[in-house]
Amino acid sequence: MSVTDLTNAIVGGINSGLEQFLEGTLAAILPAIWLALLGLHLGRPYILDMIERFTLRLGADLLWLIYVGIRDFLIISGVVLSFMFLFPDVVSADQLPITGGLAAACLFAVLLVKLMGDPDHNLREFRIVTGLIALGALFYFVPYIFGVQFNSAAAGGPFESLSNWLVTSSNTQWAVGLAYVTTALFAIMGAIATAYTLITGGRAEVPEATSTQ
Amino acid sequence: MKPDDVTTAISNALLQGGQQWMVATIVAFLPVLWTMSLMFHLGRPYVLRTLCRCGLRLGADIWWMSYLIIRDALLLITFALSFIFFNPNLVVNMAFPITGPVAALCLLLALAVKLSRRVDDDVNAYRLATVFLVLGASLYYIPLVFSVEAASQDYLSWFVTNFTSNTNPIVALWIMWLSLAGVAIVSAWLFVRLLVNANRTMRVAKPGAPSTREPAAVTQ
Repeated sequence: MSVTDLTNAIVGGINSGLEQFLEGTLAAILPAIWLALLGLHLGRPYILDMIERFTLRLGADLLWLIYVGIRDFLIISGVVLSFMFLFPDVVSADQLPITGGLAAACLFAVLLVKLMGDPDHNLREFRIVTGLIALGALFYFVPYIFGVQFNSAAAGGPFESLSNWLVTSSNTQWAVGLAYVTTALFAIMGAIATAYTLITGGRAEVPEATSTQ
Repeated sequence: MKPDDVTTAISNALLQGGQQWMVATIVAFLPVLWTMSLMFHLGRPYVLRTLCRCGLRLGADIWWMSYLIIRDALLLITFALSFIFFNPNLVVNMAFPITGPVAALCLLLALAVKLSRRVDDDVNAYRLATVFLVLGASLYYIPLVFSVEAASQDYLSWFVTNFTSNTNPIVALWIMWLSLAGVAIVSAWLFVRLLVNANRTMRVAKPGAPSTREPAAVTQ
């Protein structure tokens, strides 16, 4: 083995190892982001209760803005970090939840509803957002727990084939197909968001609230 | 192989491997930055709607200021990191989206619109910036998803071959040089505009005379 061969071998090892580490870290952070955004969305009544108890308007405003900011930033982070579900090579090589891309599409739809409506003041839109988050959580956590995290434990048991089916790397045909479906959904919703923003010119059109908090 | 050879190999590997990993990390994070830039730009109506609900001016100002800083910083950082698409050696040797340099040029054009017009007050300027951003993002995402990250898909082989920079280096280099020329022209225009603007506003103020822009407390 020459010095060049050894150098190339180490370079290859560093690159592939660190790439897998990066993707693995993103995959590991996603459940935490999902749990945190679920907690913040479901914790809305608690925040509103607390706001009512404030004697100073400034404190109430700041609490609400911080809550809205963190909650929506987590939703954006969830969509952004789920971008790996769009890449055929990544879903074929890594162990990811098979419907993770559809979960990301649900989060994208939540952002679209927030852009075009006012779910914090409109009951119908709030229900749509809650439904989409619940659906997205199911799409993410069911294959994550029963597939990715159950894979080794299910080996040789009655649920082995089901567990393998729920993991992208052991069900590449479905995984790549769903990656394309997710890409198409992202493209359609992105086009709708762009068209809406171009039509409104980025201005806020505050709809009349049909139902208050 | 002697111990010195092994030391040399490990040093070279750490250097080259670290460099390649740095570039690969930037490439991996660019979709994240592009998506966040787009979301923050397109999400303006939602931010304004939330702002309208603020009861106090202070809360509204903090909210709007935070939004502006994050949105514009994201655009700037995305353009800065997109500069790897203008390194010929990297374009030829690494798998980049072939239209990455054009995407970076579109991003610079969006920034130029922001610098030259009041995007947050002028609806048409906002629309123009939006068009540049969406065009740039599309030019970045399409070859990334269907070419760079789909090398294992046989039925996409034509797309993979033609839209990845290191498998189509001649076209990639032409696109890169043309985009670099565009970047140079836009940058030069921004410099000229800055100088003209500075000449106009700073020549008026004579030494010792109070500037109209200074706070009242300073002039008194």
